[in-house]
Amino acid sequence: MTNSQSAVRISDMDKYYGTFHALKGINLDIAKGEKIVICGPSGSGKSTLIRCINRLEEHQVGSINVLGTELDDNLDNIDEIRRETGMVFQHFNLFPHMTVLENCILAPMLVRKQERHLAERDAMELLTKVKIPEQAEKYPGQLSGGQQQRVAIARALCMKPAIMLFDEPTSALDPEMISEVLDVMVGLAHEGMTMICVTHEMGFARQVADRVIFMDGGEVIEQAPPDQFFDNPQHERTQAFLGQILGH
Amino acid sequence: MLALLKQKSYRDRTLQTLFVGGLAVMLVIFVMTARTNLEAQGMTSGFDFLERATGWGVSFSLIDFSTSDSYLKVIWVGLLNSLFLGVISMSFATIIGIAIGIMRVSGNKMAELIGTIYVEVFRNLPLLLQAFFWYAILTTLPKPRDAYDIGGIAFLSGRGVYLPGLNVSGLSVFLSAIGLVIAFAVWLNLTTSRRFAKMMPKEKTARARSIWLAWGFAACVVMAMGRIPDTPLLNLPYLKGLNFREGIRVSPELLTCIVAISIYGGAYIGEIVRAGFNAVSNGQKEAGFALGLTPWQIFTRIRLPLAIRAVMPMLINQYVWLFKATTIGIAVGFVDFFMVISTSINQSGQTLELIAILMGGFLCINYTMAFALNRVNDAIKLKGTQARG
Ligand SMILES: Nc1ncnc2c1ncn2[C@@H]1O[C@H](COP(=O)(O)OP(=O)(O)OP(=O)(O)O)[C@@H](O)[C@H]1O
Ligand SMILES: [Mg+2]
Repeated sequence: MTNSQSAVRISDMDKYYGTFHALKGINLDIAKGEKIVICGPSGSGKSTLIRCINRLEEHQVGSINVLGTELDDNLDNIDEIRRETGMVFQHFNLFPHMTVLENCILAPMLVRKQERHLAERDAMELLTKVKIPEQAEKYPGQLSGGQQQRVAIARALCMKPAIMLFDEPTSALDPEMISEVLDVMVGLAHEGMTMICVTHEMGFARQVADRVIFMDGGEVIEQAPPDQFFDNPQHERTQAFLGQILGH
Repeated sequence: MLALLKQKSYRDRTLQTLFVGGLAVMLVIFVMTARTNLEAQGMTSGFDFLERATGWGVSFSLIDFSTSDSYLKVIWVGLLNSLFLGVISMSFATIIGIAIGIMRVSGNKMAELIGTIYVEVFRNLPLLLQAFFWYAILTTLPKPRDAYDIGGIAFLSGRGVYLPGLNVSGLSVFLSAIGLVIAFAVWLNLTTSRRFAKMMPKEKTARARSIWLAWGFAACVVMAMGRIPDTPLLNLPYLKGLNFREGIRVSPELLTCIVAISIYGGAYIGEIVRAGFNAVSNGQKEAGFALGLTPWQIFTRIRLPLAIRAVMPMLINQYVWLFKATTIGIAVGFVDFFMVISTSINQSGQTLELIAILMGGFLCINYTMAFALNRVNDAIKLKGTQARG
């Protein structure tokens, strides 16, 4: 039975790309309001894991339950889960032929059937929250990377999701733009949003994460609260990984 | 002086002036030589013949034409026919091309196979051959008496295809078509121009609606005024004796040209559209799915608009090129611009003048078309730099 406090519950989940075993026996229970940071070496399956949660990738074995809805072949369930989860990508993936505002109101109008002026009002509110209301009429190609990523966050928030998924949101950004995006994410965390972030920003992890998950070779190797995770990692692969990214 | 030459804008302008000047000098020399040579052979040159009556008729004309009308008018008839053929076949080629392009990226094996076969067959056979093929098929359709009946309102026969029409004057149809183009231009300006970027979307939608309503109203009024008296509005073809009466007859010659160019052009446009879809990154599609959009919404709102923008310059080239393909009319006997000119040359002997008119006509049309389409491209193309996906 699903715990009513669970936002995401993954049980014995396996994922294959053809014959390649990308995720192996994943068990994960994420409570509502919890902030999770996932890290691990390149190719360890971090993106695959969070992309399975909103069915951008399909898992083959085990079950994924999001907010009480089982992620199976039922298209209604998939739609339901996608309405409740927002996703932010490494490369922003904004729609370049629409203005910032149009990017934000597209899904609320088409999926939530919101009226245009209401969708616009909400979008402007969220653009103000990510501190770029003045860019609403510009096109994505006219913004800096950091601004584009903040638009992408606002666009996802416009759907009023219960869970936000972030896949390395800052790794395509120049260093001086990273903090402007992280600030927005920290603000979101303080508001109580359930967040699952793939990121190597360890400062961010320490500041907001309730739990840090380390993956390697398609498996969850270790999970612990940030203090414990960083100061006293149990597994030697975790130690080696932390040694690499914190060592210099 | 040397310093001036190093300045880019100045240098560009100087080079252009020299180039255009050189061309003009060459042209003048060419015309003068041709004139003296022709006069030596006892032939008159100049454009006076344009006023003369032709003495021969044409089998298809959008405007009234008789054998006593002038060469100028027959050339105008040919030009209109070419434009007519071009607009119709390019529209069909676009529809076919988009359908074929979509089939080839659909991911459905059967659709992909059909699309591939279509493109490979129709792109690789010469247009002329295809025109002969369709002409052979269309002229061997049954006689009018045994024509294929399509719902009692349209008929397919070896004498042509008969379609229902409206009993209105050609002029009113023409004016309505022009109105449509103007309405489209105004609408495009409204939706894409920076000048209206600040306008409230609600007002924008309202204005867009009034543009189309205005056009619809104007078209209805123009058509009503152009009504041919004492006839029903709808003009249905019917069989009387050995042939059809009323309706619009599309001759096998015109139909051949339309079918051949549409199908041939559709293959090329299909390839361009496919390239456009492949140029749209997967990321936009995934973002759409993550937001909960349906595949159809992603297709119509994101992938198709991005694909069209990616290949707009290629499409413009293709349209210019397709318009030149309307000259196959001469192969099956459709009186297009090229055929009218070539008949006029035979009848009047004014070769150089007529060829100059032919070239001038094509240059004008293709420049105008490329110019208009480039404005459309400017209006819809992606703003800013796209390096960051
Ligand atoms: N579409 C795919 N087809 C086949 N294999 C894939 C596909 N996507 C990912 N993989 C493989 O699955 C494994 C996990 O990939 P994933 O993208 O989840 O890694 P990651 O932890 O996000 O890495 P990175 O930090 O580089 O983003 C990799 O070995 C990758 O090669
Ligand atoms: Mg990844």
